[in-house]
Amino acid sequence: MNSDLPELDRRLAALRDAYSAEIPPSATDRAIELAIKRANARGRSRGFGWLPRAERWIAFPLALAASIAMIAFVVRSLTPDTPPSTRDQSLALASARDAFIPLVPAAEIGRTSEAMLIPTRVPRTALAELGWPIDPARAADDVDAELLVGRDGAVLAMRFTR
Amino acid sequence: MPAALTETHSATDAALATRLACGQAEALDPLYRRHRGLIYRFALLWSGSSAVAADVAQDVFLHLLTHAGDFDPARAPLPSWLLGIARNFVRRRAGIPATDPLGDAAEIPPPGEVRTPETELGAKRDLDRLHRAIAALPPHYRDAVVLVELAERSYAETAAICGCELNTVRSRLARGRALLAQWLDVDREARSAPFVSNPSMKS
Repeated sequence: MNSDLPELDRRLAALRDAYSAEIPPSATDRAIELAIKRANARGRSRGFGWLPRAERWIAFPLALAASIAMIAFVVRSLTPDTPPSTRDQSLALASARDAFIPLVPAAEIGRTSEAMLIPTRVPRTALAELGWPIDPARAADDVDAELLVGRDGAVLAMRFTR
Repeated sequence: MPAALTETHSATDAALATRLACGQAEALDPLYRRHRGLIYRFALLWSGSSAVAADVAQDVFLHLLTHAGDFDPARAPLPSWLLGIARNFVRRRAGIPATDPLGDAAEIPPPGEVRTPETELGAKRDLDRLHRAIAALPPHYRDAVVLVELAERSYAETAAICGCELNTVRSRLARGRALLAQWLDVDREARSAPFVSNPSMKS
């Protein structure tokens, strides 16, 4: 080697050789193994973390859009055309609270092994568009809801939490 | 070995990182086995502490598990990306910011423990002294010495890992080497000559 510091280079090469077989201790190996097992156990229940980074941003809007479309379809087929009263609205929301409204056939939900709950807020005006009774005085408020979303992004069911 | 496992272990770094980013956590195992030595040795030689090196190696691969989507194979190979993460973690543990000061310090006091009596000879002792001297280098010189001389990274890779210019790597390596030679009291003739950079440096 043509070096300006030959003795230093000799010692650096010796140090490099001396450490060439160094690997982390077995405790580190075990920690990594455990982390892999935990990640596998968590599976895809970490929101949209299982999607490639570039696709995560679009997943939630797509899920929300799909859910609104499905809700519109279901609700329009169930609700009468008569104007709702405030009492009607309260009763409707109370009955919907805590109970999932299936948006796909129950058998399909049963076949889904991995799903996640995604909290969201739905404007009452959107509910009105979907055919739900609303109180005009509270039209500007949001309603808390949760979407049950399958691994493929399909919205399976929803429920109102407030 | 089952075919699927063989396929996993022979897959490229980029393919395994993509699988990891898609939620296949088991893709971490071959990546860990492939690169754990490089990362551990870098942290060990940089910090001088096997405990710190073990922690840094663990942190780097756990980071890879959760941030594999951040890896862009078009920008750098995976080992360089991992070394960059290791550099940040080992600096954080030492309380040193990831970015270096713009200027290089003119006077750097030698580490006291490196000044051992001349009678302390022997290969092992020489290596220990060199290791301690490297761990006492200013962080920006240490990056260049450990990455280029010991981890055998090219200047371009080292510049990418450290986020600095290629000429900055050359300059820091030359200064780091000069400091080591001075502290270890080797190559006196070369040190007394006008400063020249190492002609054997990798391009």
